[in-house]
Order: sequence, then structure tokens, then C-alpha cells
Amino acid sequence: MKSSVKLLAVITILTCGNYAWSAGTGADGVFEKIHVDLSDKTSLQRGAKYFVNYCLSCHPAKHSRYQRVADDLGISESLTKDNLIFTDQKFGDLMTVAMKREDATKWFLGIDPPDLSTHARAIGPQAVYEYMKSFYADDTRPFGVNNLHLPNTAMPHVLINLQGLQKAVFHEEVGKNGKEHPVFDRFEISQPGSLSEEEYERVVVDIVNFLAYLSEPAQLVRKKIGIGVLFFLAVLGVLTYFMKKNYWKDIH
Amino acid sequence: MSRETRGLLGWIDARFPLTKMWREHLSEYYAPKNFNFWYFFGSLALLVLVIQILSGIFLTMHYKPDADLAFASVEHIMRDVNWGWLIRYMHSTGASFFFIVVYLHMFRALMYGSFKNPRELLWVFGMLIYVALMAEAFMGYLLPWGNMSYWGAQVIINLFNTIPYVGEAISEWIRGDFVISDATLNRFFSLHVIAMPLALLALVVGHILALHEVGSNNPDGVEIKKNKNADGTPVDGVPFHPYYTVKDIFGAVVFLVIFSVVVFFIPDMYGYFLEHANFDPASALNTPEHIAPIWYFTPFYTVLRAIPDPFGGFVGMSLSIIVLFFLPWIDRNPVKSIRYRSFLFKFNLIVFAITFFILGYLGLNAVTPLYSQLALRFTELYFLFFVVLWAYSRTHGRVFWISSFVILLGAITLYDFFMNTSESPELIWQTWGIPAAYLVVTLLLPCVLMQLSQDKEVPERVTS
Repeated sequence: MKSSVKLLAVITILTCGNYAWSAGTGADGVFEKIHVDLSDKTSLQRGAKYFVNYCLSCHPAKHSRYQRVADDLGISESLTKDNLIFTDQKFGDLMTVAMKREDATKWFLGIDPPDLSTHARAIGPQAVYEYMKSFYADDTRPFGVNNLHLPNTAMPHVLINLQGLQKAVFHEEVGKNGKEHPVFDRFEISQPGSLSEEEYERVVVDIVNFLAYLSEPAQLVRKKIGIGVLFFLAVLGVLTYFMKKNYWKDIH
Repeated sequence: MSRETRGLLGWIDARFPLTKMWREHLSEYYAPKNFNFWYFFGSLALLVLVIQILSGIFLTMHYKPDADLAFASVEHIMRDVNWGWLIRYMHSTGASFFFIVVYLHMFRALMYGSFKNPRELLWVFGMLIYVALMAEAFMGYLLPWGNMSYWGAQVIINLFNTIPYVGEAISEWIRGDFVISDATLNRFFSLHVIAMPLALLALVVGHILALHEVGSNNPDGVEIKKNKNADGTPVDGVPFHPYYTVKDIFGAVVFLVIFSVVVFFIPDMYGYFLEHANFDPASALNTPEHIAPIWYFTPFYTVLRAIPDPFGGFVGMSLSIIVLFFLPWIDRNPVKSIRYRSFLFKFNLIVFAITFFILGYLGLNAVTPLYSQLALRFTELYFLFFVVLWAYSRTHGRVFWISSFVILLGAITLYDFFMNTSESPELIWQTWGIPAAYLVVTLLLPCVLMQLSQDKEVPERVTS
């Protein structure tokens, strides 16, 4: 009986299962599902600004070009040169980082900051969002912060001046094995930053939006083109259906 | 038949069998008029092959088969090459659709007995195409040089290590190095863009020539060549062109709608067609949390994992593919189509289809005690399908049914007693019911209810 129930469960999962980005973390279920909105150009532009200011000093986006980002986001060449490119790189250059990779690896506890033009797609926008929201004070870590989504992360909280410092409140729960273990309860801001909670949320969402765009720029056009293609195929489908019907009308 | 052609065509025909070939393979190739939904997948497989070759040609123009450049060149295609993203998604989606279409095409053959006399060689050609396609897909999967490419290839090539004595030498020979490296990538590229496509095309030509030699089967499993009219053309046949060309064009459009939905709206298919770990570059130091092969290999991967002994698993996995080659000699029942086969044959085939799905699902997931027992049970069901299929080739007496039931269930039970190494023994007996119930229905039921194993009368002509 029990086995047949389990078998049924397996078949049910089989039909609706989805193992996309399914890495389990300590932050499971803490955050709501975010909605990536690539049609919001101003959000993408703000995201680009935060990205080059706060992320690009260590994380490269080496498969992406400044020019492509500027063209896609409607930013002029002069604005890009003045506000997005801080080095002597050219408008058409790849968004690499001047920092030597060996240095970066040395500074960040042996971890080379991943390239965000592709890694953001590997982990998915939800993970980026949860990661950016779940830094909390932890004196035992080298940079004074830990992360609920990626425990013992090697990254400092680069947006600490904006968000401020939050502390994580845990409570004890008895697990399946009968032992108590800490379970995350909530975050509390212990040291306010320059932004309110809503303003910081907006910043994170902008960054998530921008990284979602950056990891696959074709997203901006592919659905639009897809609708056109499907429309064409629908018309072609109707025509070919009647052609077939007409040819076959004498076959019984 | 040899009507003269004139003008330019006549000039060509005197030198090259253009009109002759056109007639033999299209305008005067008579196909049964009663093809149904399941008969679209042959022409669709050809369409996908063309999509793969065309998109592959353009990808090759921009791709760099070099361990330092490969990953970046794919991103270059996705970002800097005009329409590169479309070409790449067509190719990656095409790979998965190739297998969807081929699996449906093969299942059609199982349903309507299309591999039976006189189509045994046609089936063997098809199986060779399938194996070549698996090799083609496996080598293509390494080329993006993502982390899953790297570790997936690592796992699969290491399978050869399990072969006694020569295993390590074989896997070294395949890699061209002690680890997966630039040498491996470069040779896989060569095999993927030249060797395997050539082999595939040659096999497809052989497959079609064999088909046109013996003629197509149909959902009734009736030979249309047995009923010819005064001109010598089959009464129940229609010329492939124009009847099936116009029908297949419509089928192709419907297929392209589904294909385009994936290409344009869900190109990664939630991680099934493009695994997310593959968006990180290959790294020997960074193993993905969970290495799963791409979905179309997972049924066989589950068979591999179901057998604890590594070499045993390798043999089991190989057998699960090799056994398919022998289908024409396993199922010797003269009734071809499922329409006229017994109730129990239908049951057996449906269980086989479900088994294949479940094996595929289990292969996508990490091993747990329950899953590893289920993997063993459905592996047993996978192989039992062929035994039962063989048994259904003719009618048998009670002694045969009961003794084969006792032998098979006995063998499974003995395996559980002596070789089943599950961490939680209670799972062994809970899942033991799966093969036991299957054998009760397929082998004992015919003793009690004879009519369930009785085939039906096959009509003289196709029905509709």
C-alpha cells in the first residue's frame, strides 16, 4: 500500500516536476518569488548604473560589451563614456575588470568572483535577489557579514551603505531527529543605511532586472519575434491544412 | 513505366536517373492511404536533421573548438553574432526535439509491428541511426564547454573505466588525455561536425532505401502490396507525392509551431533542454551540485545506476539499448498492429512506455534509497517487457505460463535475497510488488482468462 502511494507520488511529480534552479538553501521560502520585468527600461538603466558602480570592480561581465548594453538600454555613447566606463576602455570593449584574477582570488578567500554575464543565468534571478537581500551581521566572518542564501559567502556586503546592516533573528525548532536547531525567523535593521527599506528593495530589483537582461540580451527581442513567427506559422498552417484537404478529397 | 521525357529533362534523364528516382521514391512510391498521426514522425525526423545541419553550419562559422575560447565563443554567438542566439537555440532545441521525434517514431514501430518481416533490416538501420544520434548528441554536448558539458562527459567517458583490464586504456584513448581537456574538445568537435553527420546521412539513406524496397507498414499492419489493381498499383496505396508530401507539409508546420514556442519563449525548457549549470564555464575544480545527463539519456542512465556493480551497470545499460536491435526476432507474432493484438499485449506496451518515462524521471534526480529501489524495479520491468513480448509471440499452455512466471519471479526474488544492497531493507519488499504484480498480470492472467491473450482477426484490406 505504502509503496503504491509513493509510486503514485513519483508519477505525479513526473508530470509536473520542474528541477529548474532547484538548489536548496537556508533562505528557502523566506522571500517571495520576484518578477523580472525587462520592459522597464528605466529600471534596467538604473540597474546598469548600480552594476558598474558596485559590482563591476570585482565581478567581470566579460561576454558583454558596453556598446551593446548602451544600445539595448537606450543610453547614448557620450552618457555611457561619462557614467558607465570608469577605465580607459573603449565604447565597443568587453566589460572586463582591471583587477588581476590572482589578486581577486587572494582577496576573496580563494574565490574568484564569478563572471556575472553568465553566472547570473546559471543561478537564476531569484537566487540573485535572495542573495542581495540576505546579508546579515556576523562578526565571525572576515568582512563582518554572512549570507543566509549562500552561507559563509566570500563576498562583502557591497551595498551596506545603502541598506545598512541587518541582523538575522533565529529561533530554535525541534527537527525530525529530535534535536533542536536554529531556524531563520526574520531580518531586523540594526544600523540604518542611506536608503529606506522600500528604496533599497527598488535598488535590488533594478540590479536583478539588469543581470537578468545581461545574462541573455536576446530576451529583449526574442519573444516579440516569436509572436511574429507564430502568427506566420498559423496562417501557413491554415493554408496547408486546406491544401491537404483538397488533395485528399477523393481518397476514401 | 518508362515514359520518355523530352527537352532539358530528357537530356538529363539520358545521363542521370532523375525522373526515374523521382518516380521511384516520390510520385510512384505507393504508401498506404491510412497513415495516422503516428506516421508524421519519420518526415519530421528528416526535417529536424535538416534544421540541425543548417544551424550547425552557421554555428561552426563562429564557434572555436579550443578549451580557452569555446565557452566565450558560444557567448559571442549569443550576443555579438547577428541572429546568433536564434541559430544557437534552434540547434539546442533541435537536439531535444530530435529525440522526442525519434522516440515517438520508434514507439509507432512498436505499436504497429513495423519492425516485423519483411522490415527487419529497416528496423536495424533505424536503430543504427538512433545509436549514431546518441553519439552525435553526446559529443555535441561537450562543445559549449560549460560546467555540465565537462562533468557530464567526465561521467560518461569514465563508464569505460569499468571494463576489466582495458577500461582505462579505452577511456584514455577516447579523451586523448588523462583528463577531459582541449584534446578531447577538439576531437569531439571533429567527430560532431564531420564524422557523425556523414554516418547519420548515410544511414538515413539506407533507412529510406530499405523502406522503399519493402514498402511502408500502416496502422492495420496489412501488406498493401498483396492487393493490386490491373496496373499493378496497390489498391490501398496512394502515391507519396502529392498525397503525403502535402500531408507532411501540414505536419511540419504544426511541428514548427511547437518548436518555435520553445525556441522563442522557453529555450532552456526550465533547465531540461539547456541545463543551468552549463551557463558556468567548465571547471575541473568546481563540480556541479548534481550531475544529471540531458533528459534523453536519463532512462539508460537509470539502468546504469540501478545495478550496484559498476561494470554490471555498464553492461546493463548497453544491453538496454542492444536488446532493441533484436526486436524483430523477439516479437515473432505474425499479427503486426496493436489494433489486432491481444489485450495483454496492449497492457504490456503501455507499461513499457510508462516504465521508460519513470526511468527517465529517476535519471534526472539524485539517488535516494527509495529512488534507487524504484530504479531497480523499473529496470526489471524494462527487460521483462521483452521477455513477455517474446512469450506473446504464440499461444502457450498453462505449464508454460506458470513455469515462466515461477522462473522469472524466482530470479528477481533470489536477486533481492543475495544481491540487493538497499540501505533500507523494508523498501526491497515494498517495491518487490511492482515486478510481481506485473508478472501476475502478464503471465498468470492468460491461464485464467484465455481471451485476454487472444489476438484478433486481421482484415484483408486496410480499414480507414
